[in-house]
Amino acid sequence: MGELMDNKKKDQKRQLLILTILGLVLFFGIWEIVVRVGIISERNLCTPTKVVQTLIYKLYNTKPDGSTLFVHFLSSIKLSLFGFILAVVVGVPLGLVMGYYKAMDSFFTPLFEVIRPIPPIAWIPIVILTLGIGFQAKVFIIFISAFVPCVVNSYLGIKLTDQTLIDVAQTYGATRWQIFTTICIPSSMNMVFTGVRVSLAASWSTLVAAEMLASTEGLGYMIQIGRNLIRPDIILVGMITIGIVGALMGWVLSLFEKKVAPWRY
Amino acid sequence: MNDKIRKVLYGLLSVSALALFVVGWVAVSHMEGTMLPTPPATFTRFIEVMSAPISKATLPVHIWVSLRRVLIAFVFAVTIGISLGIGLGWSAKFNAFFGPLFEIIRPIPPIAWIPMIIIWFGIGETAKIVIVFIGAFTSIVLNTSAGIRAIDPLLISAGKALGANRRQLLIDVAFPATIPAILAGIRTALSSGWMCVVAAEMIAARQGVGFLIVRGQESGDTALIVVCMLAIGIVSALLSTFLSKMEGVLCPWQFKKTK
Amino acid sequence: MAVQKDKIIIRGLSKTFYQKNKVVEVLKNINITVKENEFLVLLGPGQCGKTVLLNIMADLDKPTEGEVEFTDGRPEMGNLGIVFQRYALFPWKTVMGNVEVNQKFKGTPKEKRQQAAQKYIELVGLQGFENALPQALSGGMQQRVGIARAYATESDIMLLDEPFGALDAQTRYSMEDEILRMWEQDKRTVIFVTNNVEEAIYLGDRIILLGGHPTGVKKEYVPEMPRPRNYTDVAFLKLRNEIVNNTDLVL
Repeated sequence: MGELMDNKKKDQKRQLLILTILGLVLFFGIWEIVVRVGIISERNLCTPTKVVQTLIYKLYNTKPDGSTLFVHFLSSIKLSLFGFILAVVVGVPLGLVMGYYKAMDSFFTPLFEVIRPIPPIAWIPIVILTLGIGFQAKVFIIFISAFVPCVVNSYLGIKLTDQTLIDVAQTYGATRWQIFTTICIPSSMNMVFTGVRVSLAASWSTLVAAEMLASTEGLGYMIQIGRNLIRPDIILVGMITIGIVGALMGWVLSLFEKKVAPWRY
Repeated sequence: MNDKIRKVLYGLLSVSALALFVVGWVAVSHMEGTMLPTPPATFTRFIEVMSAPISKATLPVHIWVSLRRVLIAFVFAVTIGISLGIGLGWSAKFNAFFGPLFEIIRPIPPIAWIPMIIIWFGIGETAKIVIVFIGAFTSIVLNTSAGIRAIDPLLISAGKALGANRRQLLIDVAFPATIPAILAGIRTALSSGWMCVVAAEMIAARQGVGFLIVRGQESGDTALIVVCMLAIGIVSALLSTFLSKMEGVLCPWQFKKTK
Repeated sequence: MAVQKDKIIIRGLSKTFYQKNKVVEVLKNINITVKENEFLVLLGPGQCGKTVLLNIMADLDKPTEGEVEFTDGRPEMGNLGIVFQRYALFPWKTVMGNVEVNQKFKGTPKEKRQQAAQKYIELVGLQGFENALPQALSGGMQQRVGIARAYATESDIMLLDEPFGALDAQTRYSMEDEILRMWEQDKRTVIFVTNNVEEAIYLGDRIILLGGHPTGVKKEYVPEMPRPRNYTDVAFLKLRNEIVNNTDLVL
């Protein structure tokens, strides 16, 4: 009987797997054919096979955008990690403290509320004019984009601490500082990590924007050049790399989370 | 009494923070060789652009141009996004077929689509609407499908036990139960869509706040840049306030405590 | 009491769950006969599979072995009255919306189904709250909605899965009286699941004690006491002790 049920489940799984493969094959197949046959012109789109060719080509060649794919990647990841880590190091403690100490809350929240609604991208022009288009300028923009979610989520995490836990600690004679470090911070970790995750995605996507607007290397620059040269293959290789790197960073972060906050899983 | 003094002190702290901010701004803007405009200069510029057109439009018109792009894109993103999200969350087969494709496209930030979209649609209205659509669409799909999957199984059991067929189960049970998640998705989508429109306009446009801010950059008009930043921020804040009001109206059982 | 005809016959019912390389036998060889219009209590400790048994009766789950026979034919989905422990009200629907939902699914015209729903809202004493959302009601009132919703299926069989388990003691006592009052007023076959011995003795025409691993029928008790029963009555306490001594302890 048990085997029978297992078989039924297996059948279902197999059916779903076939559908998945069918979906992918159809998608890439139709894409390939549509371009080959000329329904969509090569100026607008290239075939998936061409994308793979360009990807391999870009591993070793600097043409037409000045650097190999790896150099672009390195330049982008360096910037985004730098801004992101800076934002986490500053933003998370600030958010935690703002959530716990009323004085910090009253002081920083109004300032923060002024800055918060401005999308990080809107900072780019003023930053370019004051800091130029170098490393500093880009790190600053990425910092802003990653900083906001770090603060907001850490703040909320503290605010959402279960009052019962705080009361229990109080009856056991914990000091305010002890309550903060042993109750509030651990229980806010869930929200903190959500914030960090959002920050990572925001920093990556803002970086791409910054590189598109003002840069001489990086993946964002690469796709922008692809557009100027009307080379869909270059753009697509850039987009795919951006997507893969973004997904990989998210994955690494989740591994890290499992280490640091295992109770979440 | 003590509490009252405390409250006043905290209030003073908030005020002094804002005061400090303004003082800091004034100080930096008066420094030698600075690019930052003084607050009065910014205000004067603001009054100017309210009435004097740049690129054939005053500031309110530029804001309206950007907003219109977001709203049009939103109509599509909401309808298509919710339908796709429901499909992915409700049907294992639909999910098996489209889920992986969606997962391939999802990690690409909407802004990275801009070059491709410009190649496909030029730099006109359509291009911008498509970019905002991409920016808004993903989070609506994600939240809808996650919301459907997260429905309390007890509600589904109750629906079945009360005789709902599969269609009624979806329309009368699963969908209303998912509305809060959908609204959360729309909220994320709106801020992402607003950011995308600004980005798209910064890269290529003749009107809109994103265009205006870049115009400020190109002509070294920092006062204009700051005015635009504030305008963009205020619109974004207004949009999210509007949405939280909508949430209260659309699902009172979730957001309004009637007790 | 007059001889009642058999309403539901559970024969040799077993349920086994197959999880990842683990086999969990929950129910084993359960045989129960439910009489027409009786108030039958299924009493068992927490986590013993009472809900699974009820779900199988309601056709929300399938048995591994055995069968559930309804002597008048198995009612279609939606033609059984079920009350859930965690209420399972639709939070976006008003009291009226919740109570009428079964008839709505069946396609009854609006006016007719609301009339019927109104009758049951009054039966549970919630007139005046028709347009309130469940979250505005107390736990006891919410479960009244749950009961009205089950009654509104017009089913002659009611399955109640620890309906008062989430209520505080005072509300619980009054709800026990309420459910008896409703049952006297509108006789149906009631299968009431609980883990509370006093509740079982207070309510049941018959009590079936479930227990063991996997769960089976341990014993059957018939409280020969007139209603309303008294918690401090000697016969009540005696039966209580007898059942408690026979119950598996679950800590």
